[in-house]
Amino acid sequence: MKMKRIAFLFLLFLASQTVLSWKKDEFRTCDQTPFCKRARFRKPGSCTQIATDVSISDGDLTAKLVPKAHHDHDQDPIKPLTLSVSVYQDGILRLKIDEDPSLDPPKKRFQVPDVIVPEFESKKLWLQSVTTEKHDGDIAGLSSVVYLSDGYETVLRHDPFEVYVREKAGKRRVVSLNSNGLFDFEQLRVKKEDEDWEERFRGHTDTRPYGPQSISFDVSFYESDFVYGIPEHASSFALKPSRGPGVEDSEPYRLFNLDVFEYLHDSPFGVYGSIPFMVSHGKSGKSSGFFWLNAAEMQIDVLAKDWDAEDGILMPIDQSRIDTFWMTEAGIVDTFFFVGPEPKDVVKQYISVTGLPAMPQLFSTAYHQCRWNYRDEEDVENVDSKFDEHDIPYDVLWLDIEHTDGKRYFTWDKLLFPHPEEMQRKLAAKGRHMVTIVDPHIKRDDSFHLHKDASERGYYVKDASGKDFDGWCWSGSSSYPDVLNPEVRSWWAEKFSYTNYIGSTPSLYIWNDMNEPSVFNGPEVTMPRDILHLGGVEHRELHNAYGYYFHMATADGLVKRGDGKDRPFVLSRAFFAGSQRYGAVWTGDNSADWGHLRVSVPMILSLGLTGMSFSGADIGGFFGNPEPELLVRWYQLGAYYPFFRGHAHHDTKRREPWVFGERNTVLMRDAIRIRYTLLPYFYTLFREANVSGVPVVRPLWMEFPSDEAAFSNDAAFMVGNSLLVQGIYETRAKHASVYLPGKESWYDLRTGNAYKGGKTHKLEVSEESIPAFQRAGTIVPRKDRFRRSSTQMMHDPFTLVIALNSSQEAEGELYLDDGKSFDFKQGAYIHRRFVFSSGHLTSSNAASSPLGNSRFYSDCIIERIILLGYTPGAKTALIEPGNKKAEIELGPLRFGGHVGAAVTIRKPGVRVAEDWKIRIL
Amino acid sequence: MMISVTAQTALMSQEHQLVQEEKFYCKNIGHSPSLLYSSRVNDGICDCCDGSDEYDGKVKCPNTCNDAIAIESLKRNVEVYQEGVTLRKQEIEQAKRAIARDRAELSMLKREREVVGKLVSQLDELVQKLEQEHEEEENKMSEARNEKVKNKKSGPEENADRQIEPMKTSDVEKKRQSGESPSDQNEKDEDKNSEGLSREELGQLVVSRWTGKKTGEQVKEIDQTKNDQENDGQVDGYKESVADNTSRQSWLNKIQETAQSFLNMFSTTIANLDATQIRKEYNDYTSKLSDINSRISSLTEKFKHDFGKENEFYLFYDRCFESEQDKYVYKVRPFKDATQKGDNSETLLGKWDEFGNSHRYMLFTDGDECWNGPDRSLKVKLRCGLKTELTGMDEPSRCEYAALMYTPVLCLDEKLEEFKQKLESIDQVQEQQWNHDEL
Repeated sequence: MKMKRIAFLFLLFLASQTVLSWKKDEFRTCDQTPFCKRARFRKPGSCTQIATDVSISDGDLTAKLVPKAHHDHDQDPIKPLTLSVSVYQDGILRLKIDEDPSLDPPKKRFQVPDVIVPEFESKKLWLQSVTTEKHDGDIAGLSSVVYLSDGYETVLRHDPFEVYVREKAGKRRVVSLNSNGLFDFEQLRVKKEDEDWEERFRGHTDTRPYGPQSISFDVSFYESDFVYGIPEHASSFALKPSRGPGVEDSEPYRLFNLDVFEYLHDSPFGVYGSIPFMVSHGKSGKSSGFFWLNAAEMQIDVLAKDWDAEDGILMPIDQSRIDTFWMTEAGIVDTFFFVGPEPKDVVKQYISVTGLPAMPQLFSTAYHQCRWNYRDEEDVENVDSKFDEHDIPYDVLWLDIEHTDGKRYFTWDKLLFPHPEEMQRKLAAKGRHMVTIVDPHIKRDDSFHLHKDASERGYYVKDASGKDFDGWCWSGSSSYPDVLNPEVRSWWAEKFSYTNYIGSTPSLYIWNDMNEPSVFNGPEVTMPRDILHLGGVEHRELHNAYGYYFHMATADGLVKRGDGKDRPFVLSRAFFAGSQRYGAVWTGDNSADWGHLRVSVPMILSLGLTGMSFSGADIGGFFGNPEPELLVRWYQLGAYYPFFRGHAHHDTKRREPWVFGERNTVLMRDAIRIRYTLLPYFYTLFREANVSGVPVVRPLWMEFPSDEAAFSNDAAFMVGNSLLVQGIYETRAKHASVYLPGKESWYDLRTGNAYKGGKTHKLEVSEESIPAFQRAGTIVPRKDRFRRSSTQMMHDPFTLVIALNSSQEAEGELYLDDGKSFDFKQGAYIHRRFVFSSGHLTSSNAASSPLGNSRFYSDCIIERIILLGYTPGAKTALIEPGNKKAEIELGPLRFGGHVGAAVTIRKPGVRVAEDWKIRIL
Repeated sequence: MMISVTAQTALMSQEHQLVQEEKFYCKNIGHSPSLLYSSRVNDGICDCCDGSDEYDGKVKCPNTCNDAIAIESLKRNVEVYQEGVTLRKQEIEQAKRAIARDRAELSMLKREREVVGKLVSQLDELVQKLEQEHEEEENKMSEARNEKVKNKKSGPEENADRQIEPMKTSDVEKKRQSGESPSDQNEKDEDKNSEGLSREELGQLVVSRWTGKKTGEQVKEIDQTKNDQENDGQVDGYKESVADNTSRQSWLNKIQETAQSFLNMFSTTIANLDATQIRKEYNDYTSKLSDINSRISSLTEKFKHDFGKENEFYLFYDRCFESEQDKYVYKVRPFKDATQKGDNSETLLGKWDEFGNSHRYMLFTDGDECWNGPDRSLKVKLRCGLKTELTGMDEPSRCEYAALMYTPVLCLDEKLEEFKQKLESIDQVQEQQWNHDEL
């Protein structure tokens, strides 16, 4: 940066001074948010709504919600609400409550479009009948019961109204809504003369033309000990109670997408993205889930045990439970109950509503190098050649905002980047890719074609007076495309064509930043809530989904650009339920400190649990200068993040892996190479996520649902079902306590040494690595040859690492395809299952029946099979078909910079694409 | 072929065995051989110019070792270096002469100092005498004046009282003008003020958090740059007045004559002297002496520097190299400092520190402080070129600048020989190939 010796106007001088910490005062607390404050004042049992006119209609269970009695005749008469319960395959209940459109409400309340996947509707089960039963131990209570799935049913209690899911046998509850009677629905109404609906915050006025319209209710999870999910917060994975006995500084978990400058690493405060999906888990080993499709500001309390000790209503239930309280500013009740019972089932059920995670290109699962900013073409060339000089692999080089001509996205600074195409071609010649940034704020400059086009077409969001909203961001005075509008999205998508985006080439991909949206001079650094979108929808109603639609439009643009043949890669900072369909996200602008390294794990676990499998945190921390030790530890941990990118703020020193001396270069190179070694395993996991939603990086309890000691462990995580990794989160660590779950053993990835499961081990740690283990009973595919980038690894041979369990068995999978096209959707992929049992290893086809005629073939062979937990003795292995022999000997267990020793079948030479069997003689 | 430095010879550190990299050897006949990381072998990319790294048949790599372009660039290098080496020699010769001249000047200056010093002390004595006489006369007169002053005592006090009020106001004004405020107030003030800001100001305020740029840098610049920075270049005005050593020799003779004439004056009586003339002479020679002294110390300073093994950088001492880039003019003054000049401002990128890597770069450190970063510094890498010129100013890391400078001084003989040899070996190979074709 070119700083000048200049004096400034008094005011501006002052304004520029304090820049180093989170501006807490700039963001609203619950107390400063009227709907949240009002809702939190409500007492349990204050809801008097009862369900009437219960019937089956169009395959749904429907009812009206009416207040039990009109106490106050001065108030407007409360109109009945409509309630409907729909049931979908695999144990999903959908509950909708809205104002009755036939009663002529002042405005249609917003329902979030384009989040639920179209296929979901086809999974609807048409309810045929409803049975009525008397509520246990309840005097007046009648309940209507309908089918949900094998073993589960849905109950609608009439008075007071309550909806819950229970097991058919034993009638044990799973999830319920309004059991504590906190439900409240502020109906839209006409403003009275003496009323003031405006809200003010720090000099900003929200005109609130439609007045109060908030909704709140309680949700209970039964037989659960912890709840998880509802990202994005920089806090522990198991959500700590936010209200009730023992909670200080009570503040609910906030879901409101915000560009928070230097966020704190232990706070319920909302950051860049929002997914209103919560998962519970308990000692029973069972999980359940709840999702509220609503994009307005949401606040969620996790209630501590005995929160209702004073004025609670006695629930006639002996089951243990966790109560939660959900509040939102606008929208409707459109909620989904997921019965589980396995943790993975809950994730799959949620995914069947919001869609499967996209299958990424292979290159994007490798290492990315970013910095704000690589200055010019020479800088890019230099950084690129330094990677080669130090033999460190990397796949993608990123350009931040300074590459543009005055922050006009889709343009290039002519002085700094005069030859963008040639620059990309040079990278592409080494199999590398480039990513440039494209943000939603469009510079209001009449000579900028994008702005001219957007304003002429009327594609910008409008302010309350109907003019194009004019906000301030990187580009100065800016406007924002109304991406709620599908027409605007398709217009936006066109901008990524090679003809429109001049200087782009097929190896260029995109980064969407600032899409919360960030508005530097807006309330809470975002868009005013009374801004208008398509169809008069207020920004308050869709705020949390703005970034989602923007991400969607960009990803669609890349698909269009490649004629539907090239998988898009778009990294987004803001996200919402469903963002997993469009690409990757990262945890935003973190800081170079140990606390942020630590919190990256629960943040990534929360994202994975709620569908966002492809996520990561900036290696090294965006703000500040990391000590080399912290940076090394971050690379060692980040190598196991689903999304692996080094990034740094403008004002920080250079921190590419080679700038801290030979020793640190070696350590960082080893960490990055570990990721490259494990790419076949990661890619297989990305495919698993792509077909099931089960995330790449998982909490321990997802693999070990009954292991209580794992429930609140967020220092360690599973990569797939086979690897357990735990970071080193403090400086000069000599030891680490690592809990290894389950009954089987675990093998140290580097030494091959076995450790008992179900136990906390105090391990010695060195600077060379962080604790990482392979679970006994699994097979992990690797590629052990180092290359410049993943592109050159395409034809390299595989290594299989077989970790045997106590019965000398193991199994694993390998998925591969061309790494970039959509041909895999037509069956052009290889999916193998490897099983080791009774002394032989079998490779068989695991592909589901092919969808199309497309085929993918690989001539890759397996060059090495490593057996962990195998007693040495045998000297040869016999390969069928062909009856060839391969030697067995003690060979190296290469991993990172380390070579342990293990029993190895050398050069079996079998092809990965084929069926074969290897017998140990 | 693989050079085996692998597992067998792997080092054992503690109980860990570290991987030792295998490297691939490219013969590159007709070109210089090279060692490649094994990660480059059969990866589909041609790395060796002889193509030997891609032997698995998946790609075909043409042999480019005798590539016309490579030869061309080698030839160009030889040409540049050939001329450069000559220029370098000339530069060293010139430097030698300059050193001799500067040394001669220094010894001359020292002699001048002696002579002028003596003269000044004699003049001083004369002036003292004149002063003494003058004082005696003054004393007589002032006694008479004091009598009158006593009667007017109350006046000044009244005056002092009246001055208190205006002084306060001007203090406040001064503060406002300089934009000062107690720094611990700033945080509060920002919050308070942000509500009163215009939407543009608020936007810029948030931008400033990220960039560290003061808000309004582009919009509201008020130039209060210290203009005096401009003038601090040459302090020793003495330099111009003394053109060359021959004229200086006669000048020195003249002084000696003058000194002699003053010496003669001592014999005459004070009364006969022209007091004004003496004072003028005294002032002139005192200032000449201080000029001489400052020139001596600046030359002495100069000689302390490291100008390279053959003093090849000696002529850089008084030179200023400029380069214009993106709205800025960069000025590099070896052995002194480096600056960046914009429209309204000038920033010190660093003060001279030292040469590095055996005179292959110049380092300037301890420049202007950087917001939220290190003090500015500049590294100027030196390369062989036929003209001495500054190019390619860059800021690879925040406030750590880097530039490239071409100069004949870096055109070394050894390097020329190296290029020549390479070119010869290629020529030989080509000849051989030519012969093969004939057979």
